Amino acid sequence: MNNMNLVRGLVLMAIALIFGLGALNYSIGHFSRAGPGLFPLMVSCLLFLIGLISVVRSRFVAVVPLSYNMKNIALVLLGLCGFALLSQHLNMILGIVFLVFCTSFAGTSYSVVRNLKISAGLIAIAFMFQYGLGLQLPLL
Amino acid sequence: MNLLHNLAFGFEHALTLHNLMYTAIGCTVGTFIGLLPGLGPLATISLLLPLTYSIPTTGSLMMLAGIYYGAQYGDSVSAITMKIPHANSIVACIDGYQMTLKGKCGLALFTAGLSSFIGGTVAIVVLATLAPALGEVAFLFGPTDYCALMLFGFMCVSFVTTGSLLNGLAMAFIGVLLGTVGTDVNSGVARFTMDVTFLADGIGLISIALGLFGITEVVKSLDSGSQLTPFNGKIKLIPTWSEFKRIIPSALRGSVVGSFLGILPGGGPTIAQFAAYAIDKRFSKYKDEIGHGAIEGVAGQAAADEAAARTSFIPLMAIGIPENAVMALMMGAFIIKGIQPGPNMIGEHPELFWGLVASMWVGNCFLLFLNVPLVRYWLSVFKIPFSVLFPSILFFCCIGTYSINNNLDDIFITALFGFVGYMFMRLKLDPAPLLLGFILGPMLEENFRRAMLISRGNFSAFITRPISGTLLGLIALFIAWQVVVFYFQSRKVSTPVAV
Repeated sequence: MNNMNLVRGLVLMAIALIFGLGALNYSIGHFSRAGPGLFPLMVSCLLFLIGLISVVRSRFVAVVPLSYNMKNIALVLLGLCGFALLSQHLNMILGIVFLVFCTSFAGTSYSVVRNLKISAGLIAIAFMFQYGLGLQLPLL
Repeated sequence: MNLLHNLAFGFEHALTLHNLMYTAIGCTVGTFIGLLPGLGPLATISLLLPLTYSIPTTGSLMMLAGIYYGAQYGDSVSAITMKIPHANSIVACIDGYQMTLKGKCGLALFTAGLSSFIGGTVAIVVLATLAPALGEVAFLFGPTDYCALMLFGFMCVSFVTTGSLLNGLAMAFIGVLLGTVGTDVNSGVARFTMDVTFLADGIGLISIALGLFGITEVVKSLDSGSQLTPFNGKIKLIPTWSEFKRIIPSALRGSVVGSFLGILPGGGPTIAQFAAYAIDKRFSKYKDEIGHGAIEGVAGQAAADEAAARTSFIPLMAIGIPENAVMALMMGAFIIKGIQPGPNMIGEHPELFWGLVASMWVGNCFLLFLNVPLVRYWLSVFKIPFSVLFPSILFFCCIGTYSINNNLDDIFITALFGFVGYMFMRLKLDPAPLLLGFILGPMLEENFRRAMLISRGNFSAFITRPISGTLLGLIALFIAWQVVVFYFQSRKVSTPVAV
């Protein structure tokens, strides 16, 4: 299963299925008077075909193992979502602090003092955006 | 004479105090962000697009164009001094970095700066003459022709940027599918919105672009964990006369190649650089030195890079079809500003078109000034460690995506596409065609529906019209060629595997 070419084909087929099956919920119509579902369905079919070709082709080319490292992407996504949630429910200053402290675990070195400095700098920039460029940020 | 008149008109708009300022800010900020490791033009433009919202239309587009070629230039500076390759400065890493190793870093930077200036100037003349003429041709296009042209564009971009037709087309189609999310214009049906209100208008272009390019690039740099060693060498800028004489012919060759390749669908800076480098390697007087730090190896590709960056605006502004992902993003910016790029644009907004053309030349002068005498100050950017930089980049991504609709929910979309982009990166799928598909998807659907309506559901309309027939024929030929190539390749590969 650890074959990049095979996984790639399967992922493409899965995306095609999500959109293709979704498109079936809308009226298809016919070519001369297309419904909202026709075009997405056509494109999904093409994408499914490409996915299928990729899967078949992966049998004929050398196996390339799939490498991945979930730690960094998970930390970054957690930081982003936490930033959005905290800004939504509390305020953006806490969001910024969370973003910096959470994502910097992904860096090569970790330092609380440096993180505090970065947070302070970013908060200052956020205030600058608010008052200088007129962006509406939920800062307080 | 008409051309001179139009250019004078353009300069009238480009040289107002405000517009000069916007161009200068665009060039400076673009160069700054472009220098940062990992952030190429796509990420830079999407990151800085929100800055232009509060600026008048002409000024904001001048600023964006400035950001684009500033970023382009910043890429080549970091490639020459530290061999940091971005998507479109791979060639600059070869001879440029070799020259730096030989202690001729200043000469390489001067060569790149001057050649870019020459390339940009040639391209602007091409742009000013060709775009209006091509705009006239575009009036002949019907819906079928537009469909065929877009498909042709997908194919070229897929092949050029990813090297694999299949993977690139898959990405373009995923982009088209993502483009259908939101309310269908013809029937009013909300498609793929999962009953989420903020998806009714579709997914935001900037959310997608920042996720796929910004977040993914940051994580990619984090995964590789490499630390940069800042450049500390001496920079001697002024070349001798004999060195100077070697720059010019190579730069002119590069300008012509770049201007031409910039216009073609799927073309643009990346392919133009490789082509110019290959041509210099074959025809230059000093071809034996190329690859070991020759002036020609830097001059030709830098000129082609800059020329192609400018002429790639031609299909966007004359026909209304962007030819690569960067131009798709530019088109998004035009549309946000309420301007529909296309054959009518030159007539309806002459001040915008000619002003933009003129501002490109003004921007050229700024870049020459910014990058040649001031380059040593730019390099201090690299003294900022990446551990400080990346939380800030992530924060700016958040602010960028938030500020479009003042909606924090958009950050979740960006995070989602950050993950999708990471997955694509691991699967060796290049997301650039996706962006093009996303922008062109709604246009493709609209034109397809219109064509089918006119022909009463008869597909032969695509083949019988001369323009679309020719383009579809080319697509078919290309696919057939790819199948043949794959057949022979797999026969070669499979024999040793069987043994």
